[in-house]
Amino acid sequence: MDLIAGRTWSIERRPIRHLDPVLIFVTLALSVIGLFLIYSATHASLAAQHLDLSLYVKKQVTALALGIILLLLVVTFDYRFAKVYAGIVYGALVLLLILVRTPFGTTSAGAQRWFQLAGFQFTPSEYMKLGLIIMLAAYLSEVKSQDLSVEQVLRATVLAAIPMILVFIQPDVGTTIVLAAILVGILVVAGARPKQLAVLALSALILLFGAFQLGVVKDYQLQRLYGFLDSKNDPQGANYNKQQSEIGIGSGGITGRGFLNGTQTNLDFIPEQHTDFIFTVVGEEFGFVGAVVMLLLFAILIWRAFRIATLSKDPFGTYVAAGIGSMFAIQMFVNVGMTIGIMPITGIPLPFVSYGGSSLLANYLAVGLLLNIHMRRFK
Amino acid sequence: MTEGRTVARVRFLALFVVVMFVALSARLWFLQVLASDQFRSQASRNSVRIVQTVANRGKIVDDQGSLLVGNRPSRVVLINRQRLGSQAPVVLQRLSELLHIPVWRLRQSLNTDQYYSYTPVPVAFGISKSEWLYIEQYQGSFRGVSVEQLPVRTYPNGRTAAHVLGYTGQISAQQLKDPAYAGYDPGDIVGKAGVEQVYEKYLQGTKGIRKYLVDASGQNLGPIGTEQPPVPGDTLHLTLDLKAQQIAEESLKLGMENARHYNDSSQGGLLKANAGAVVVMDPNTGAIVAMASSPTYDPALFSGGITQQQLDKLQSAGSNQPLIDRAIQGLYPPGSTYKPFVAAAALQTGIANENAYYPCPATYTAPTDTTGQQTVFHNWTTANLGSMTVAQALIVSCDTVFYKFGWDFYQKSPAEPLQRDLGAFGFGKPTLVDLPNEQPGVVPTPEWLHKMHRENPTGFPRNTWYPGDDIQMGIGQGDTLVTPLQIATAYSAIANGGKICQPHVASELTGPGLSKKGKAIDPPCRGKLPFTAGQLSYIRNALTQVPMHGTAAPAFGGFPFSQVWVAGKTGTAEKIGQQNYSWFAAMAGKTPNHADYVIVSLVEQGGHGATTSAPIVRRVIEGLYGLNLSAANPSAPND
Repeated sequence: MDLIAGRTWSIERRPIRHLDPVLIFVTLALSVIGLFLIYSATHASLAAQHLDLSLYVKKQVTALALGIILLLLVVTFDYRFAKVYAGIVYGALVLLLILVRTPFGTTSAGAQRWFQLAGFQFTPSEYMKLGLIIMLAAYLSEVKSQDLSVEQVLRATVLAAIPMILVFIQPDVGTTIVLAAILVGILVVAGARPKQLAVLALSALILLFGAFQLGVVKDYQLQRLYGFLDSKNDPQGANYNKQQSEIGIGSGGITGRGFLNGTQTNLDFIPEQHTDFIFTVVGEEFGFVGAVVMLLLFAILIWRAFRIATLSKDPFGTYVAAGIGSMFAIQMFVNVGMTIGIMPITGIPLPFVSYGGSSLLANYLAVGLLLNIHMRRFK
Repeated sequence: MTEGRTVARVRFLALFVVVMFVALSARLWFLQVLASDQFRSQASRNSVRIVQTVANRGKIVDDQGSLLVGNRPSRVVLINRQRLGSQAPVVLQRLSELLHIPVWRLRQSLNTDQYYSYTPVPVAFGISKSEWLYIEQYQGSFRGVSVEQLPVRTYPNGRTAAHVLGYTGQISAQQLKDPAYAGYDPGDIVGKAGVEQVYEKYLQGTKGIRKYLVDASGQNLGPIGTEQPPVPGDTLHLTLDLKAQQIAEESLKLGMENARHYNDSSQGGLLKANAGAVVVMDPNTGAIVAMASSPTYDPALFSGGITQQQLDKLQSAGSNQPLIDRAIQGLYPPGSTYKPFVAAAALQTGIANENAYYPCPATYTAPTDTTGQQTVFHNWTTANLGSMTVAQALIVSCDTVFYKFGWDFYQKSPAEPLQRDLGAFGFGKPTLVDLPNEQPGVVPTPEWLHKMHRENPTGFPRNTWYPGDDIQMGIGQGDTLVTPLQIATAYSAIANGGKICQPHVASELTGPGLSKKGKAIDPPCRGKLPFTAGQLSYIRNALTQVPMHGTAAPAFGGFPFSQVWVAGKTGTAEKIGQQNYSWFAAMAGKTPNHADYVIVSLVEQGGHGATTSAPIVRRVIEGLYGLNLSAANPSAPND
């Protein structure tokens, strides 16, 4: 029996002793900062409507509590169970993505994305991201060769394409991009060759072009894209969000205008500010310093995910962690990028920070999986 | 442990992410450090214009839910004075020709401090569709002119209940300063009279708010934020019954018209009968079933922005003040309608006894009045009617019996039990009805007289309280002043066994601003009067004889007393320099002594109580109980 510092080896290697404190800290820090930002983004308009100023914050706190409970639950089971049930989870989520298009789903702003269940919203596309990660990881971890064959890349692509198409027609371009990034991230780590990835990218471009030509893409998506391409055009229309959000972030300067002092924020200039445009609050009220601190927190989050990918004892854990890392990275990049005008406007929430229960729960599930892989890296 | 190649691939992926962070940070550096000044100045130029959408004012309905006051959309022409600028003469000329409104009138409307300089001012209401389309079509020629659909008050029953309903109008400069109107803006429409004024905060509703982004040049760049839709005002349910109200108004009008063809027995010539009021009240709750005041006015005049001419006309002397609600704002000597209260006070203080007999001679002189020039108080008849009980004195309305009671009350000075009891009946103070500007009336006391003399020595040259003051009060004359509603409230107390019920015209508020059940308006019936049930029933029994055999008998000839019990009292109030004021106060019920209604009628210069008011009340009772309506013809005086 091995003895390390007087303890038995098995006690030292107990999973519970190997939680990743840095990951936990970063997750909670982003969530708590999010609460303050949500308050700032919503308090003025809530006051105008004579509603509780912390109405949204309270809802988010409830979701946060649920998320933590969910995380603790996920941590108790060995993550390898996920591999066993990956097919079922994936299949069920695809089915829900189809059902959400039927009258069971709820329509909002022209998009059909969620189910209304006993007062709660359930958005299957948020969970589909994780479902796809597990599915791809489960499939590719069974590949024994060093590099992937064309057939294997193709199969993985089909697995990703099914939910991507279903999400794209909702329409939810943002989640489609995230699913694509997950596919690419996992394929890279699983050993797809650069040539294969290039072909994949080319066919995606052709498909996208075809979608525009066939009118599958909704008008507002096109307008947003045109607005992105020609920024001086049409200040009240599609480009309005982008301009106002840039004004907000730009006017923050180096140190920001102070918490609750942003005029762009308080005067409701930026639509959907507590959800997709939450980063503008950081930019306007905490300036460049605040924005960089937030980016650093995300950098640590993604670093921990990739680190766990390298620490995992089996390929399944590696792929799951890499997929989650890719997911957080692309969401952070597209979301922050659209608020500062380097990415087109797509409805992607900023992980842990944006208001929204389904997204927060899915992200906590993801962190739970990361912790799980980290904890059981010796077993 | 993961093998080396996989670690390398993860690092490769991480490199991508590093590129992402570099791109984001670089762009942030550009926006927030290099170009920050430009964005900050853009942010400061960003401004918001808040446009308010008018909420529909709450509806007013009667006890059955019939609509009394509603809203209809009216096309209103508004002029933005800032945008009008130098174009004013041309645009106003064009508008004047189109709408047939003189230019000076348009200028008059624009010359107001009721609106912010940038807020459009309404200049014409209810324009036609073709006029509206013309302005829209030639928008270029009407710079600064806009047409909006705004809700205005509509009165499906015309003038009915005008005084109770009141009217609306633009908030005044004084009201804007009043803390009670905090949150109101210039140009807001508020209740100016009646329940429109009293229940203003419930009827008003909440304006909707829409925010627009406006650039430095004032150009509208489109809406921002979420729209806050307007919330309509609450619905006000009245205790008023539309049918009863119509009967009351018709009967008052008819009775007054008929009286104008009737000779005034006291001064000669035809009766003027130029104004009056009728109150119908539920004596058990204080709910006002009908309340009429004549002359009346058309409240719709105010909803389209009343002109100064129209307002002047309504307030001119010749029109006899139609805006005054005589039921609560008219002050009159009560005359003999006061006698039941004096009788109750006399029985209660022991001055009178139910079974005792009192002489009813033609004149009365105070026993101490032994000066050379005695003050002689006359009965309404020159005949000596002999001795009679208090009940009989009420039935034939003998003044001299009540002069004596007045004298006896004078003897009790300074305890003033008469004034105390009259105060208990609610005289000399507001009834607290839910209508504005109610008059409290006067119950004179020595202190009151001293005070009036001090404040107004010419109007009240006398500073001494004489026996005559009490003697006059015994028959409701002298300085005593009451409103018709006070009489109705006091008769209700006799009818209901001694409760003073706070009269009210509203019963309930319902609407989005309130809970599902609504807000009940149910003011209490307060206190027991200091009279025994026996004393009150004694008076009721006496009053029951009045329409059958007493002073009101001529007006109630052929009335089916077997179907409806009526008890009442006539009053003929004297006012110096005018014809007599005609009063009749009655209670009516399906069964004797159980009154469903108290009905009071007062007609200014309508002669004797039995002449004008008693026929009006009779007709109202007939209407309330679905009997054949009589003609409200004047009847011979007997009082």
